[in-house]
Amino acid sequence: MLWVDQYRPRTLDDLHYHKGLSARLKSLASSGDFPHMLFYGPSGAGKKTRISCTLRQLFGPGVEKLKIDQRVFLSPSKRKLEINLVQSNYHIEITPSEAGNYDRVVIQELLKEIAQTQQVDLNAKQKFKVVIINEADSLSRDAQAALRRTMEKYMSNLRIILCANSTSRLIAPIKSRCLLMRVAAPSEEDMMDVLQNVAKRVGFDLPPDAADKIVDDAEGNMRKAILVLEALKMQSPNLNGPLSIAKPDWETYCHKVADLIIGEQSPARIMEVRSKFYELLSHCIPPTVILKTVAERVVDKVDESLKADIMHWAAFYEVRMRNGNKKIFHLEAWVVKVMSLYKHFFYGIDMSDFD
Amino acid sequence: MRYKKCLNLVAVHQSRRQRSQGELHSRQLHQRLIDILHSWIAIKAAKSAPPPAHGSKVVPDGEPNCLAGLAFVFTGELSSFARDEAIDIAKRYGGRVTLQPSSKTSFVVLGDNAGPAKLAAIKKHGLNMLNEDQFLNLIATRKAGHVDEKTKKKLAKEQEAIRQAAKEMEKKEKEDAKKEDKQDGNLSSQLWTTRYAPQSLKDVCGNKSQVEKLQQWLHDWPSSLKSGFKKPGKNGANMFRAVLITGSPGVGKTTSAHLCAKLEGFTPIELNASDVRSKRLVESGLNINNTSLDGYLHGDKASVSITDKSCIIMDEVDGMSAGDRGGVGALNALIKKSMIPIICIANDRQAQKLKPLIHTTFSIPFQKPPVNMIRSRILSIAYKEKMKIPANVIDQLITSAQSDIRQVLNMLSTWKLSSDTMDFDESKSLAKMNEKYTVMSPFDITTKILGPYLFSPSARESLGDKMDLYFQDHSFVPLFIQENYLRSQPARMRNLEGPEKILKHLELMDKAASSLSDGDLVDSLIHGPEQHWSLMPLHAILSTIRPSSSMYGNGVHYGGPNSMAFPQWLGQNSKQNKLMRQLGDIQAKMRLKVSGDKSEIRHSYIPAFHPHLVQPLAENGTTAAEKVIRRMDEYYLSKEDWDTIVELGVGDHKDEIILKKIPPATKTAFTRKYNSSEHPIAFHKAHDLGKAPKKIAGGPTPDLEEAYEVDEIAEELSEEDEKKEKNKDDLSADKLIQAPKKKKVTNTASDKAKNKIKR
Repeated sequence: MLWVDQYRPRTLDDLHYHKGLSARLKSLASSGDFPHMLFYGPSGAGKKTRISCTLRQLFGPGVEKLKIDQRVFLSPSKRKLEINLVQSNYHIEITPSEAGNYDRVVIQELLKEIAQTQQVDLNAKQKFKVVIINEADSLSRDAQAALRRTMEKYMSNLRIILCANSTSRLIAPIKSRCLLMRVAAPSEEDMMDVLQNVAKRVGFDLPPDAADKIVDDAEGNMRKAILVLEALKMQSPNLNGPLSIAKPDWETYCHKVADLIIGEQSPARIMEVRSKFYELLSHCIPPTVILKTVAERVVDKVDESLKADIMHWAAFYEVRMRNGNKKIFHLEAWVVKVMSLYKHFFYGIDMSDFD
Repeated sequence: MRYKKCLNLVAVHQSRRQRSQGELHSRQLHQRLIDILHSWIAIKAAKSAPPPAHGSKVVPDGEPNCLAGLAFVFTGELSSFARDEAIDIAKRYGGRVTLQPSSKTSFVVLGDNAGPAKLAAIKKHGLNMLNEDQFLNLIATRKAGHVDEKTKKKLAKEQEAIRQAAKEMEKKEKEDAKKEDKQDGNLSSQLWTTRYAPQSLKDVCGNKSQVEKLQQWLHDWPSSLKSGFKKPGKNGANMFRAVLITGSPGVGKTTSAHLCAKLEGFTPIELNASDVRSKRLVESGLNINNTSLDGYLHGDKASVSITDKSCIIMDEVDGMSAGDRGGVGALNALIKKSMIPIICIANDRQAQKLKPLIHTTFSIPFQKPPVNMIRSRILSIAYKEKMKIPANVIDQLITSAQSDIRQVLNMLSTWKLSSDTMDFDESKSLAKMNEKYTVMSPFDITTKILGPYLFSPSARESLGDKMDLYFQDHSFVPLFIQENYLRSQPARMRNLEGPEKILKHLELMDKAASSLSDGDLVDSLIHGPEQHWSLMPLHAILSTIRPSSSMYGNGVHYGGPNSMAFPQWLGQNSKQNKLMRQLGDIQAKMRLKVSGDKSEIRHSYIPAFHPHLVQPLAENGTTAAEKVIRRMDEYYLSKEDWDTIVELGVGDHKDEIILKKIPPATKTAFTRKYNSSEHPIAFHKAHDLGKAPKKIAGGPTPDLEEAYEVDEIAEELSEEDEKKEKNKDDLSADKLIQAPKKKKVTNTASDKAKNKIKR
């Protein structure tokens, strides 16, 4: 197994950073008055790890016996929706966004079904079951609305743990029913600690320089840092001397796109960029990630006075991408905008002021 | 005032530059800025000039037919007429208008921004060029009789031919009238379309070869029946017991079928949409009592003689609808065993309903005949009816009716009631009244919208007309616009040069792209949960009209360098959906070991897997297979998932590049090795477990138009069910129970034994 998964902490005590949060979770779990919770924070910060540690604290090692199940729901138009459930005797984990627009159906049927049955295991530490809802920020408004009443009505049988990247897409009634748990990205020292710890458990020495470099590259994403560490170790076993961290394939590809945008500003070039975007999108790179990566690269390379504008438009079109259907339209609109800005700057005159 | 402000701005720019760059450089820059500024002012001035005067020029009252014998080509944009209007003017005065300049062209009327290809052709042929004013002048001054000898002769000859044809018609009618009973033989009570229906093959306008094919097939029928339809004949038609004539309305399909049958001595039995043609009735021997043996019943025994040879004309096959359930299927069955020829007639060959007939019939497609083939016939009819209608008016009628002869005749007969003459404008309005609604393909629509004329200052189309184009196909047109808007050379930047041109181009593209982005937001409201369909006009404007209004110009299909492309979005989107589903499968399987969601798997794990799962196979070959498989088992990944992981790579990790690096031998060894061992499975997919729900038998069948198809499917299903029933106890059919694989050990053991013996 990869190191990330092999050396994942299993109990709240094993966690390396955010000690305060761990302590709070521990006391919550032992108090017997466990609330609904919403874990949020950037990816690779350790949300899921903390959730599973909390569950273990609540129910004991039994929760680690996971099995996967697939359930079929019927959408209102009689289409079959397949949903994967990960469950133990004490909890169940769903990703409603798998059902796309029909996530409401999943939430309604599944939650009610779970909520209406009590915990059967008499030896269970807690009387309630826990439902973990992944990717809660991509729940549709309807699904969130469906969640509201259920959360209150079935409190005796059921606790819900939502897991999201940001709370901005969640409606206020949901937020007010949950205890918000922010899992921030680890600081550089925290990451350094974890890396050293992993190295120790694997059984090799990690030179501080290499650790520095990895932490720098990972930008607060613990998962990425450990994966990079393993890749580097495979590449050059002694980890001394100059190291070059290989970027993931999609990132180098995005950088190429950024270079294309700066290299030339013409319709032909836009079409070229469009086909590259299609390539990225069709290979499951989320559009927001594409926009972010390309924009950061473009901003790195242009004049100081353009940076703010480019970022402004990137933010502008990112919102539109979330609201719209066809992501490529907005990506392309941003590219054209950037090219136009860049060219106007290049000729040193801002024509739009004159009109 | 504004100029001052501009100069100030320039100065600001200049000072900002001076701080950052060298003195010399900034002076150059200053000069350039000043230049740009001046040209910008020039542009401003040009913008404020009055737009090309639309309809400002009066068309002179020239003599009728004053342009007769002249051939015109219009190119470029005229300042006060739209292209169509100018063409109409030329036609009104008897001129001929062609699209491409050739050596026969008499004048080229040249507007602004003519296409380079046309200009080259003009130069090559050394053609006379006119501008708009000269063209109008020509109409005002040219005399009608001003035709050279050759054309005069030609015209005279045509006239003579028309007179001749009309005389013949009259003669025939008189003969017919003599034969007819005096009481009901009143020809004037007949519709023109029946009165002037072709009496012989030479009267049929256009599709000569197709009609000949039909006649030949009927002619050969007895011999092909004798040979059991084994001899293909000249064009392969004799292999078939039936033909399917397809073509748009009014091109003479039914007429030709009847005519050919009559000429070959068959008695036509016609069944059309007015008869019930359901499955039962068609099967029970074609309810002949109900058929139109009109000629026979009329007592006109001489013209239609019942012979032992008869043929079925199954007219309007695509009109078999709700009432005729199973009719097409039964007809098809009938065709397969028919002993008499069957002629099927339909409008659209591609129709779903006609699918069964495609393989059993010989197809004879009828084209719309070109104008010149119809013209003389219509002219002679008009002459006979004593109507004075010039040729160019007839042409106009035929074109606007889209070569529908029946419609032209009907229009003329209606017109005859009120007047004996018709001029150009009257014909235009008449045709407009009888206009047929036609659907354009998205390609045509895109060409039109992004082309140089729809948005040009002299265009007459209203916003509503432009929106109609979007509504012709509202799901495809926006995609086409998005795919192609970058391919045009916008007319709006035409008069600019250098940097301004580039900047203007970018600005236009920016406008178009941001409007497309707006359009997508509206689209998501329309197709979202609330379905605001009332926003469609807004979507039409944002997704189609606004982008094209800034990007219109030469380019897409107007001689530009980029030809039109089909929207990539469709293909890319389905590819994305497919890979997304596969990635979801991977994530579900890995979930037991991994905490990340789908995008996290794609972001971090797939690049991280590369050195573990893919690279070893490329570098170490078969020896690495075992290690790779062990790694896959840790995450419950299957061989298909391995394929997906490779497929998901981009850039350097693109599947084509990667798969090239792994030798085929390694690949097969890897697959074999994987298949030969047992692997842990995370879970079974739901559809692997449950049986497909059985079809509910009985109950009222829904009233479907294509009921015959449903029947067929149901039959197939029941067959499959039977098979399933049989295999019920067969273990191999159950996916969960794998038959123990015969191990290769026995094989190798025997090999070893052999080797021992050899030793």
